[in-house]
Amino acid sequence: MKMIKQLLPIMVLALSFSVNAVAQKGTLRGTIIDDETAEPIFGATIYIQSEGTGTTSDFDGKFKLQLDPGEYTLRISYISYQTIEVEDVEIEEGEVTNLGNIRLNPAITELDGVVVTSSRVTISEAAIMTAKMNSPNVIDGISAEAFSKIGVSDAAEALKNVTGVSVEGGKYVYVRGLGDRYTQTMLNSVEIPSLDPDRNSLQIDIFPTNLINNMVITKTAVAEMPANFTGGIVDIETIDFPEEPIYDFSISFDYNPDMHFNSDFLTYDGSSTDFLGFDSGTRELPAGASDGNIPTPISGNSSQEVYDFVNGFNPTLGPSASTNFANYSASFTLGNQYNVFDDNKLGYIMSLTYKSSSNHYSNYQLGEYQNQPDPSAYDLIYATRQNGTLSEQSVLLGGLTGIAFKTDNSKYKLTAMHLQNGESTAGNFFIDNSQDAPGQSGYTADSYNLEYGQRSITNFMLNGVNYFDNTNWEVNWRSAVTLSSMTNPDIRKTAYTLSLTGANPRFNAGAGGFPSRIWRYMDEVNYANRLDITREYDLFDLPASLKFGGSFVYKERDYEVLSYNLQFFGSQPTFTGDPSEILVEENLYGGGGNIYYQSGNQIPNPNAYNSNVSSYAAYISNEFNPFEKLKVYVGLRAEQFTQRHTGRDALYAQGGSGNNLDNEKVLDALDLFPSANLSYEIGDDQNLRFAYSRTIARPSFKELSFAQILDPVSDRIFNGGLFAIGDWDGNLTETYVNNIDLRWEKYLGLNEMLSASLFYKSFQDPIELVRIQVQQTSSEFQPRNVGNGEVYGAEFEIRKSLNFISESIRHFGLSTNVTLVRSLIDMTEQEYVARKNGEKDGQNVDDTRDMAGQAPYIINAGFTYDNPDNGLDAGFYYNVKGETLTAVGGGLFPDVYSQPYHSLNFSLNKTFGEDGNSTISLNATNILDDAREELYKGFNTADQIFSSYNEHRSFSIGYKYSF
Amino acid sequence: MNFKVTLTYLSGLFLASMLLISCSDDSTTGTDIPEEPDAENTIVVSDNITEDTVWEDGNIYILGGRISVEAGATLEIEPGVIIKGEAGTGSNATALLVARDATILADGSPTQPIIFTSVADEITPEDVDAGNFGSPNLDPDINGLWGGVIVLGNAPISASNEGTDITEIQIEGIPSSDPSGLYGGNDASDSSGSISYISIRHGGANIGEGNEINGLTLGGVGTGTSISNIEIVANQDDGVEFFGGTVNVSNVLVWNSGDDSIDSDQAWAGTLNNAVIVSPAGSAFELDGPEGNYTSTGHTIQDVTIYMQGNGSELMIDVDANTDVNMSNLFFFGLGTNEGAAAHVISSDYVDYAANTNGYSITNIEAVIPDGLSVEDYFTGGLDAEVTVVGDVANATVGADVSVFGFTWANLSGALSDIGL
Repeated sequence: MKMIKQLLPIMVLALSFSVNAVAQKGTLRGTIIDDETAEPIFGATIYIQSEGTGTTSDFDGKFKLQLDPGEYTLRISYISYQTIEVEDVEIEEGEVTNLGNIRLNPAITELDGVVVTSSRVTISEAAIMTAKMNSPNVIDGISAEAFSKIGVSDAAEALKNVTGVSVEGGKYVYVRGLGDRYTQTMLNSVEIPSLDPDRNSLQIDIFPTNLINNMVITKTAVAEMPANFTGGIVDIETIDFPEEPIYDFSISFDYNPDMHFNSDFLTYDGSSTDFLGFDSGTRELPAGASDGNIPTPISGNSSQEVYDFVNGFNPTLGPSASTNFANYSASFTLGNQYNVFDDNKLGYIMSLTYKSSSNHYSNYQLGEYQNQPDPSAYDLIYATRQNGTLSEQSVLLGGLTGIAFKTDNSKYKLTAMHLQNGESTAGNFFIDNSQDAPGQSGYTADSYNLEYGQRSITNFMLNGVNYFDNTNWEVNWRSAVTLSSMTNPDIRKTAYTLSLTGANPRFNAGAGGFPSRIWRYMDEVNYANRLDITREYDLFDLPASLKFGGSFVYKERDYEVLSYNLQFFGSQPTFTGDPSEILVEENLYGGGGNIYYQSGNQIPNPNAYNSNVSSYAAYISNEFNPFEKLKVYVGLRAEQFTQRHTGRDALYAQGGSGNNLDNEKVLDALDLFPSANLSYEIGDDQNLRFAYSRTIARPSFKELSFAQILDPVSDRIFNGGLFAIGDWDGNLTETYVNNIDLRWEKYLGLNEMLSASLFYKSFQDPIELVRIQVQQTSSEFQPRNVGNGEVYGAEFEIRKSLNFISESIRHFGLSTNVTLVRSLIDMTEQEYVARKNGEKDGQNVDDTRDMAGQAPYIINAGFTYDNPDNGLDAGFYYNVKGETLTAVGGGLFPDVYSQPYHSLNFSLNKTFGEDGNSTISLNATNILDDAREELYKGFNTADQIFSSYNEHRSFSIGYKYSF
Repeated sequence: MNFKVTLTYLSGLFLASMLLISCSDDSTTGTDIPEEPDAENTIVVSDNITEDTVWEDGNIYILGGRISVEAGATLEIEPGVIIKGEAGTGSNATALLVARDATILADGSPTQPIIFTSVADEITPEDVDAGNFGSPNLDPDINGLWGGVIVLGNAPISASNEGTDITEIQIEGIPSSDPSGLYGGNDASDSSGSISYISIRHGGANIGEGNEINGLTLGGVGTGTSISNIEIVANQDDGVEFFGGTVNVSNVLVWNSGDDSIDSDQAWAGTLNNAVIVSPAGSAFELDGPEGNYTSTGHTIQDVTIYMQGNGSELMIDVDANTDVNMSNLFFFGLGTNEGAAAHVISSDYVDYAANTNGYSITNIEAVIPDGLSVEDYFTGGLDAEVTVVGDVANATVGADVSVFGFTWANLSGALSDIGL
């Protein structure tokens, strides 16, 4: 909130400033790029014969001319390139005409110029495609332009349509179906931390698309990229220098008939700033609650002190029903650039976005199922089933501002970004625990859950590019600070255990448990510095470039969980099952009753840690052409990675001789990562590629620890990987991966292509979260190196206009990409023995299985209509990810597989109005009304629900106006 | 002052609270501020016990966390010793755990019982010497202040995690990062030591959802272990829970358990002989059978007197189809009178249990049936045939020999005599 208040006056100022700057003349802008490489051309001549004026392009290929209103023809030329003429360029008074990318073809012989009309010059998707074609390594991407076409509002949605990408739970990006551990997220080419303590990659749904310029996914490693990825690196590039003045305002509404305007929507009184994505303090930890000795009837405090302390907790323990609203969002973007100090350019961009959404699941189901010990009893039996209602209210507020300054041979960019997200969740579940399942006592309970999740990222980045020696030397440096935090303040769980005899419900420690509340905090700071130096030169009489540089990253994370249990000092009062009847005056200790809170926290807290990483990297690489058709990009990267941990186990925390780490090195290694990317041109429009690289997947902060964390959300216990448990020796190591890629691609025309890839990855000591077999009463997991693994796959992509059928349907296009993957992992002895012991009659347990998190297939498809003449584009988009092993079982516990979610969306955009200033968009989401399901799979028996909910169909309408 | 408020409040709510008032009249000094423990004879234990150790009479030992007697070590607790657990729930809960291959020798005596309680309890060795075994400041229904006592052994269990050579699992409430929590094995005659004349009070701290500590947990404990004369008072979860094993236990009194009083799982193959159950908040018996393919000869529960807590308890006997128990000589009284069929019944699975082909049965029951209700209202599924109605407690011919419980707080407080025992 503070930040927004500070931003507002600047915004207003900028707005008025830019209005004043409007002159009589019109402005013409454009970028000259090499048609083959998509590289900018420096020093190209832009000449307007009729006026006798002209200019040259800068090192970014960009040019600008001030012209009187009228129609012009441009002539663009550069030595050894085919000269191009652009006709019908219209200049209007006070307006900027942006030609976008103008491609020049390298000319073998001096030919006559090619004439194009200005409306056909460029499409930025095509620019990404060209970049893709000419990149020495395998990349995929999506640009800002495509976002509006497919009608998406956040980055996660947008990435769904990229080859080999799947988006888990609408938040987490997986590349080629590999699990979260093998995907890395970067913001403006520097690493950013995850906002989830259990994940490696960031929830990228918090990036609104209007802050993004493009997203590039690197699938084969190159030396300048960090080595800790295997599936892919998702690099989100925020918008920078605007080519033309931008004053965009957009608004949209999203209506879901099954979820919105629903009078059963569950909510609870939050804070007055919930609508801005953060809690103003009503969910804060009560004063004194983090002390070692909180006031209880037995702590030595007076009854008044106990009463005051208990009163410090919010008395609301259950949700109330109210009617929710539809989703809505609004965003505002402005930007411009000016000439300052002679011909230097200064640009700015500013964007604000606000999004409010609510989800209401009327039939949300969760289950814990088990195998039966009898080999002839195939059916899975439930230990616990929960079903009920879950309602979520989420707010996202994002702001980005940046200034850029460009001189003849350098460019500087400073950006600041803040994203704020708050999600309030309220649920009511019926819990059915079966005494027939091993280790279970059997009970039924009514549970009420209240949660709040607050996530934020603040990022500052300074980036400079300096050119020397006529752009033959490029020095690119960047320095970024990212502050991120994730807080779950006051998660409240209250479960009334129901009587077997029809008596009143009560709280039962051995059944539904006592009411609890939990605070979870995670803060991370990340400093990233990076320097890349590129030298263009000739090798074998062909252009080559030598790249070298390095990076230093320091990141530090603080994590803590604090928990409290409601207790009765004596017998419980008579309850009726209403969560609002518990924390009332007459029930509180010191207020007439006997309720107090007991601490679940040891001092020092074993449920807390601090970890940091220092990572130094240096690399050298060379891109060259041994002969005309072959492009070779080889490199070597060295990373010195040191991870330190401060944390302890429960035995140490209680004063015993347990394990305690005080900023001790838990990982310290210098590794070399070679990479080679070869690209062979077959004709003008085909490439054959080969890539090899060695990469790494390192254990996360909490995995290399003695932490014992009871996750309040999943109710699962996490044991740090350093504990020796059973046959696990506590020696958790990195995973080394060898990657081999082979790809053929054919470019058919503007934004049209065909490609086929094969890839193979071998994993040495992959880490998986292993369920601990000896623990049967609760769900305990530990990260362990399991047996070696292998992944092999194939990818196919086609993007094609239907003009080959008939010119009349040339505006229709088809794009499909399919990824097929086979994964194999060698089971550990523990798992194999557990599975063998649980073998059913007729079953033959193997000692290999699928890799956890690895999808067997991903299909993305789009059927589109795009007509720039009438400003209409529309499309159907479909994605699905195959059945994926998400929780590894064995023995008592069956495996859990996420089920294919068939997502079919429709979107339509129509531009209209004078100068096409207005765009209206219509979207339909989840047209197939598919549910999201994860299922337990047994042998020769029906699947059972691990989790199931349906988002149902939603329909949205949006409007955008550009001033 | 606070105490009075509590009492007024309780009396309005529970039939059984009459009992509390009568037993507490002579015991209270207020519950707010425990006296500073005498540093002279108070020893805080915060580390596991890895070598032979003796806890000496006259001392108070404070459990500063979850203390394990690790394999190979012997903990001897002398008669009259008081052990107090610090407060906490979750991973902060305190407990005494005797691991497999460790030994506990905790033999109190009728005049010098060993008392496990909370740090909030002001009881001193002098009180014990003077014969005042009850808490001077805590009511006998205050639970969840600390964890409990867990004894684990190498005797067979029937769990679904069956190994090729040995079946072992982790006891509930103890995370698997603590290897002391493993139990189960092949040695039916295994010995974990000897426990007698102990009283465990105010425990049962919650560890997680459905995951808590019983008053006395016996996991895979073998016949070589001697366990008798045990009192469990006000445990938030079960009183005594058996997870497999073969141990025989006699003379057990469970008073005010927050959940079930006696709980069995995983094919316990021993005998519980002579027990009194007073006012369970859950069921009096929650009895299960094997969870894995291993089956045993089952367990036997006999000579038990059960006072149900009026309308505050759950089932009298909760069995299911594969429960492997023989029960006999049971005396039930204090039955609830709730409207409808669901009042203090035998679990509906009794019929499936009774149809077992292994010969397990429940026989020879006596019960005091409230006015206006019949045996069939309570003992359903055909069990009524085993029931003889008696007029009141004095007329009972089966049940426990209550005279052995003279050392218990329940007896000394008058709680037993108040219900006619």
